[in-house]
Amino acid sequence: MSFAALILHNVTVRPVRLALTALAVAIGVLTVVSLGVVTHSLEVSDLALLKTGQADFTIAQKSVSDLLSSSIDASTLARIRAEPGIAGVTGVLIGTTRLNAANRQFLEIGIHPADLAAFGVSVVAGRPFAASATNEVMLGWRAAENLGLHVGDTIRIENETYRITGIYSTGQALGDTGAMLPLAWFQTYQRQPSQYTLLFVQITPGASVTAIQARIDRDFPQLVAIRTLQQFGRADRSLALILAADKGATVLAIIIGAIVVMSAMTMSFIERTREFGVLSAIGWTRRRVGVMIMSEALLIGLIGTAGGLALSLLAVLGVQELPSLAGVLQPVYTAGVFGRALYTAAAMVFLGGLAPATRAALSRPLEALRHE
Amino acid sequence: MSNTETSAARPAGREQPFGKEGRAPAVEIDDVRKYFDGGVIKALNGLSLRVERGESVAVTGPSGCGKSTMLHLIAALDRPTSGIIRVGGVDLASQKDLPGYRRRHIGLVFQLHNLLPQLSAVQNIEVAMFGTGLSLRQRRDRARTLLADVDLADMEARPPTKLSGGERQRVAIARALANEPELLLADEPTGSLDERSVDLVLDLFARLRAERPGMTMIIVTHDVRVAGTADRIIWLRDGRVDYARRAAESA
Repeated sequence: MSFAALILHNVTVRPVRLALTALAVAIGVLTVVSLGVVTHSLEVSDLALLKTGQADFTIAQKSVSDLLSSSIDASTLARIRAEPGIAGVTGVLIGTTRLNAANRQFLEIGIHPADLAAFGVSVVAGRPFAASATNEVMLGWRAAENLGLHVGDTIRIENETYRITGIYSTGQALGDTGAMLPLAWFQTYQRQPSQYTLLFVQITPGASVTAIQARIDRDFPQLVAIRTLQQFGRADRSLALILAADKGATVLAIIIGAIVVMSAMTMSFIERTREFGVLSAIGWTRRRVGVMIMSEALLIGLIGTAGGLALSLLAVLGVQELPSLAGVLQPVYTAGVFGRALYTAAAMVFLGGLAPATRAALSRPLEALRHE
Repeated sequence: MSNTETSAARPAGREQPFGKEGRAPAVEIDDVRKYFDGGVIKALNGLSLRVERGESVAVTGPSGCGKSTMLHLIAALDRPTSGIIRVGGVDLASQKDLPGYRRRHIGLVFQLHNLLPQLSAVQNIEVAMFGTGLSLRQRRDRARTLLADVDLADMEARPPTKLSGGERQRVAIARALANEPELLLADEPTGSLDERSVDLVLDLFARLRAERPGMTMIIVTHDVRVAGTADRIIWLRDGRVDYARRAAESA
């Protein structure tokens, strides 16, 4: 029997205890992975929204509950456009609406047709809508494909019927699953005249993005200039809160998991006190006893991690099927999420197993042998 | 019984000779005291004893006279309050690697076999050889040989719960012999066995003495039959030697 086989044997010989301890680890991993995948998916969606406009940076209203609640008026846009180093500013009004059961958060972007090229939009079929039109729309190519619609067809969005004048591509999945409408009409329809959700800024060649960003942050305290995902939280408090909750849940999962693991392993090791005394009496070193116990804890952690990962895949699939999130959440599994699951499990097992392992390793053999 | 030294690989890392002190006695106990509860209980109270190499000694006496305490001190499972214990000429107080000392030099047999319940008979013997430098195959072969030596070759896969009391004790003896100890310490090895099992264990001890003349045996026992198999019987009373006799004199 090898040392590894002994550890495997010791762990699997008590299936109920193994199952309960591994379940604690699995729940921790489930929490971390599920939240991580959902949070990262939201981050990616938000980043995709920023990247839809081919801008050097994006400007939004500071500290809104949701980025789509951002509101910037036309006079502010004009002031920013006049700032030195700014080559162009594209203002867009963004909304979401329920199109059908499969498209509960259908993206609508109100934009002036003259800004389409600057916004990085290519019309791949048909033509752009007219600036003053009230019943024209362009569909992203993914949306057109999903809905089975073509140029010349009509589409009903909320209570209005629109004729599809063109199909566009932005190169971003999120942008291509929505629709673009004439800005003036969309501002009127949304009852937000002269208002924009986001401003997409292009700077003049040779200008410093960082310097201009800093200047806008200073001169327009109600706004925030966003260039990276890390800066996103300054505008979108919801995402910032979700990210904070995600981190908090990870810490909680580690603490709760470690307590459960420690409790289960302590119970197990109290039962096995005499065994450790015997091993010490027949010549096992304290180090070997400690390594055996920590290895058992590690193995339980690995089993729990595998179970937790499987459960989290199912959980994310379940979340995706929630009616309110159908078609919105596109899970993104990254190495980072799985890495976090592994270090969470490792932390739970290490913190949970260390005290019992130390106690067992340091126990005096004679006292352990007398343990009833 | 076959000599396991020739039939299976010998554990590595053994210091030779035992204690490097030439022909020093196997065990020397010099004025050893072991007090518990701040001196309220005087388990050993000035015990002095000398056991020669290859000698078989039975230690007997009333309950609480210090028999088991003496074994625990020789096995370095506990430390004396005062006095000196030399094993193979080496003062145990100077031993830094006590687990290594037990692994290399001592075989321990308990009254309650103390086998690990989750392991099979052969695995229980194998775990005693961890850290000896033997390969997986060598450990398995040696454990099987030892099981055959105690007439349990066909029970290697059985866990302790599927063995009788006598069988468990024989597995425990095989485990104690796993690392070819110079000193076998047995604490009431027949104390929890039925008559037939006692006979089997006594037979096993007799064979051990015949086939391992260099191995020293100290057996704590209340059983006169067990004591009768030893070269010498030592009676303890109140934590010190009351008197000692050669087995032949006792007979």
